Amino acid sequence: MLTKIVKSREFFLAVFIIIFAALITSVNPNFLTLENIADLLKSYTVLGIFALGVLLVLLSGGFDLSFTAIAQVAQYTVVYFFVEYEVDNVFFAIIATMVIGSLLGFVNGFVIYYYRITAIIVTIATNSIYIGFLYVVTGGDLLYDIPESFSFLSDTKIFPMLNESGAEVGICVGTGFWFLLCIALHLFIKHTVLGRSILGIGGNQLSAKRAGFNIRRTTIFIYTFVGALAGFASLIQCAVFQSVVPNSMVGHEMDVIAAVVLGGAAVTGGRGNVLGTFLGVLLFAVLSNGLTLMKISPFYYQIFTGAVILLSVSVNALQELHRRHSQIRVQVREDK
Amino acid sequence: MTQANNSFKMPRVIRENLVILVLMVLVFLLMWALNGNAFISAGNLSSMAYQVPILGLLSLGMMVAMLSGGINLSIIATANFNGIMIAVLIRAMAGDDMMSAPGTVIALALLGAMVCTLLTGVINGLFISLLKIPDILVTLGTMSIIGGLNVALTGGYTISDFPQAVLALGNSTVLGIPSALLIFIFGAAVASYFLNRTCFGHQLYMMGSNPQATRYSNVSLVKVTVQQYLLSSFFSVLTSLVMIGQLNSVKADYAASYLLVSILAGFLGNVNPFGGFGKVAGTVIAVIILQFISSGLNLMGVDSFLITAMWGLIILVVVIAKGELPRIKKMLGLNGKA
Repeated sequence: MLTKIVKSREFFLAVFIIIFAALITSVNPNFLTLENIADLLKSYTVLGIFALGVLLVLLSGGFDLSFTAIAQVAQYTVVYFFVEYEVDNVFFAIIATMVIGSLLGFVNGFVIYYYRITAIIVTIATNSIYIGFLYVVTGGDLLYDIPESFSFLSDTKIFPMLNESGAEVGICVGTGFWFLLCIALHLFIKHTVLGRSILGIGGNQLSAKRAGFNIRRTTIFIYTFVGALAGFASLIQCAVFQSVVPNSMVGHEMDVIAAVVLGGAAVTGGRGNVLGTFLGVLLFAVLSNGLTLMKISPFYYQIFTGAVILLSVSVNALQELHRRHSQIRVQVREDK
Repeated sequence: MTQANNSFKMPRVIRENLVILVLMVLVFLLMWALNGNAFISAGNLSSMAYQVPILGLLSLGMMVAMLSGGINLSIIATANFNGIMIAVLIRAMAGDDMMSAPGTVIALALLGAMVCTLLTGVINGLFISLLKIPDILVTLGTMSIIGGLNVALTGGYTISDFPQAVLALGNSTVLGIPSALLIFIFGAAVASYFLNRTCFGHQLYMMGSNPQATRYSNVSLVKVTVQQYLLSSFFSVLTSLVMIGQLNSVKADYAASYLLVSILAGFLGNVNPFGGFGKVAGTVIAVIILQFISSGLNLMGVDSFLITAMWGLIILVVVIAKGELPRIKKMLGLNGKA
């Protein structure tokens, strides 16, 4: 049991995070304050929630490059109309963004399932459709007038504490939602039929079908759910930044996917878990914060990110090769 | 089949690409109708001839990667990398004044940059084949690293003032034909030669349709994959030559929006995204169709973002049409060999 934990990906990541955090703290003691940690978590909440959606897609053996575009559309629409009609209710806004997100995500799922086409191509297409139309309709204008109640997500603290200068510090509600979603998604994947069927079709679609899983329902559910999560995350993003910029998230899909892959999820499907994804996001957060605190030029961030991705997928791949040598493989072939 | 039928047999290139050839003609006529004679004016035709090569070369590079069911995300980063390496090497050998660099320096710089770029292809290929990492992840990683290198090498700035000899490669005319177009034709010929006439080409198609069977046929998948990504990065080299000529500068993030369009071109040109099938001619025709559309819409003064949305819509329409075609044929009673 113990050796299994020590050998696991999550243990490896956790050790890495601790070592890195210790290194940064030795250079800059401000790192390990509640204030800095809470800020760090807050700025990575959006990426963390996106990552949960991406995890689900990768588990099913699919791919999604359109979630950032979905988030932009949901965010812009909701903020625009809420300001226009002077609705100032954050819970209503959460529901609205999730509904818009799930509708746009549904389109992905529908096309991917019914036309049996690679998810990458479909989601690249919908990404450009959503972003293209968003720009055409809005003219690319920024919105600075965010309804006040939205700051509930970014400014209200769950367990407020006072620091020495008397300001409230603590984990914000948005980050709290992220943690809750992590737990909920973990339970969902482990203990529901739908959750198991996602893993099933990721492992082997045909076997899953023969085992009686409903592939159609699962596929469409996954992409709809990713859309809903993306919509929710977009609301936190605009609460944190207090502005809506039509291209603030799009183009960062790969960062999210990188974090999930770093967390041990396989793009070929069937492998990955919530804890790993969470730690993957955390590692990215600590790394980038550390690079900033250690005054490394931002020019090298991207190289660093790339190297981390390649390194982690290489570790994945070596483990996989090792595993493959030590097991009998069962092949299920498509019958014509 | 009767004798008469045989004598009317169309050339293979046309037969295989009949649908998109018809589509090309239709799109051309549509754009002509929408824009009037402005569409076939010498100005527009020549601007299309200048624009087609960049997208075309990138699409060919992407197509080579797609033949094994993969995607080469790093293709644009490597194209920019090649251009930046040329500038860096010239500066390193001839000082900051690139305009007056001697010919040998330029030749050495072009060669050196090409070697570096091809090396990135080899690295991609080795990671994919030796470690069996999905190509999308490997090229995502190398895209990030190379993109970062590009930013670090240029400091995020634009480097311009290339020597005339380098510019001439992508921006001059030979007998009235833009040299960029000639490079594109050369690229298409190279791709066609390697894919159809060499052992490597056959092995690549085999690997794309069934990697396991290919391995059992005593073909080294490592060798084929490395060659595949070498060829793919070679198109990055050609693309960068055209880009330098037309923009007279290099920057870390030029042409980033072409990544999507180059995948679209491959897809529209009947390259199977699951691998194993796809021809150079189809991709070239698809690129020309896309160029007709974007030039035509540009002439009409359509918002460039609407054109972006249009690319996406076209993919979806093609996907749905491909899916619905058999059903429609069945409904119309046309259930012959298609």
